[in-house]
Amino acid sequence: MKLNKVIPFLLLSTIFNTRAGNLFAQDAPAAVISSASESQFMVAGLTTFGFVNQTTTNTLGGVKSTDKYNSLGDADRFEFSPMLLWRHGDNLLLEFEPSFDGTNIGVNWADIAYFVSPGLIIKGGYLVLPFGTYTKRLAAGWINKLASDPIGVDIAGTDFGIEVEGGLPLGNMKWSYDISLTNGMQLDNYGVVSGVGISAINNGKTVCGRLALLPFPNSSLEIGVSGLYGAIATPQGATFSNTNATDTKGPMASMYAIDLNYVKNFNPIQLNIKGQYNVSMVTKQNYLNPVDSTQTYSFTNTTSAAFAQISLRPVQSKNRVLKNLELAFRYSNYMTPQNSTWGQNYTEEDVALDYWLSWRTVLKIAYENINSDGTSSVAISGVQGSTTVSRMIIQFSTEF
Amino acid sequence: MKKILTIKKTVTIIAICFGMCTPILINGCVESKAVAAKSGAQLWAENCQRCHNTPSPTSFSSEQWKTIGMHMQTRAMITNNEKNKIVEFLQSTSHN
Repeated sequence: MKLNKVIPFLLLSTIFNTRAGNLFAQDAPAAVISSASESQFMVAGLTTFGFVNQTTTNTLGGVKSTDKYNSLGDADRFEFSPMLLWRHGDNLLLEFEPSFDGTNIGVNWADIAYFVSPGLIIKGGYLVLPFGTYTKRLAAGWINKLASDPIGVDIAGTDFGIEVEGGLPLGNMKWSYDISLTNGMQLDNYGVVSGVGISAINNGKTVCGRLALLPFPNSSLEIGVSGLYGAIATPQGATFSNTNATDTKGPMASMYAIDLNYVKNFNPIQLNIKGQYNVSMVTKQNYLNPVDSTQTYSFTNTTSAAFAQISLRPVQSKNRVLKNLELAFRYSNYMTPQNSTWGQNYTEEDVALDYWLSWRTVLKIAYENINSDGTSSVAISGVQGSTTVSRMIIQFSTEF
Repeated sequence: MKKILTIKKTVTIIAICFGMCTPILINGCVESKAVAAKSGAQLWAENCQRCHNTPSPTSFSSEQWKTIGMHMQTRAMITNNEKNKIVEFLQSTSHN
């Protein structure tokens, strides 16, 4: 039974059953929202810019080289993203967020959402995949407590497809589900996975989903588990092949993630803890040796990424300056496959002191320390040196 | 490869079970009396800060809050009752 046939059937049956049920426990809301107009269009958005001073030290074969860099436009963290929302009645919402990153104009998401019933939303278009929480909820500069994004947590990314989701009560608790069916990914000749885009070049599809539970009535704790599974497209000109010669199937990807979010006020301090761990696995392939094209090599194509962050803010302080200060720390780790051409073990420690000018405008002073050790195979032209980066960032971010 | 096939079967079984159970889960989920009694202001304070600072009601107009409420429902997976109560609270204090 193929997933790409099962999932649409399940989606349709779920919608039908839910619409026909008329047993919605939430259908007796205590609040009724006023509806002055049928259609409403608005523009919101965000921008992030700043200054960076960075020192990079490369060590290769015992030889060190140092490079210094500073820029008033922090190119790696610049973003200008207007967000267009168009609501039609109570059930339809169009969401579109183009984004300029200093070099290119891209699109963060472009989708239409249909609110079928109180616990069921269907979306279609260009979607942020429901894998972990960072990419979908926490990546905006004015939400992120640190200056940079944790590396590797956006591995599932954005894709074309459909999605069903909803948040539901469960006594004193809450839970939510979020499932997507999308075109999926492709593999390059070095084993790196990337989005396939709008044109699926194989007939396989990727299923991705997240289930979350908020066990406390005050919603302070959220724990989520995510999974992704699907066939990976093989682009034209691909030089890799399955390690099992009798297996004619293309490569497959499976990914898993767990995430945690805990926000609680302990007067006068607000404690904010967030974390995510994800791992991505691609079935073993034989890749063409870039040094000797008559030879192939193989490696275990597993990539993992994790971050844990804590921030403290004295929100209940009577001092106007102190109550707007927030101290944040984050540890990140990112490991790409050993013995590939791109293997590395990357660790990063970030600390930031934020000053909140308003609820959606922040000035950050951050320090980041990064260590990266190459774990690639020298025999296939990999580099096994190490890199240390230390950077100071002053960043302004606002939502408008 | 055996492991991958097992994963595929497992994912398929979970997807089928989840699809079949979803209507029951959605229709059968109820909130406790204590949760149902929460005000929009309380829900605003508890839920918004899970991702970002609690927004000022005066930041957007009444109609804009309705649109933003729908947007946040798809992002933060708040329940429909929570969205309705939070939006009503923000509308009641937005002054426009």
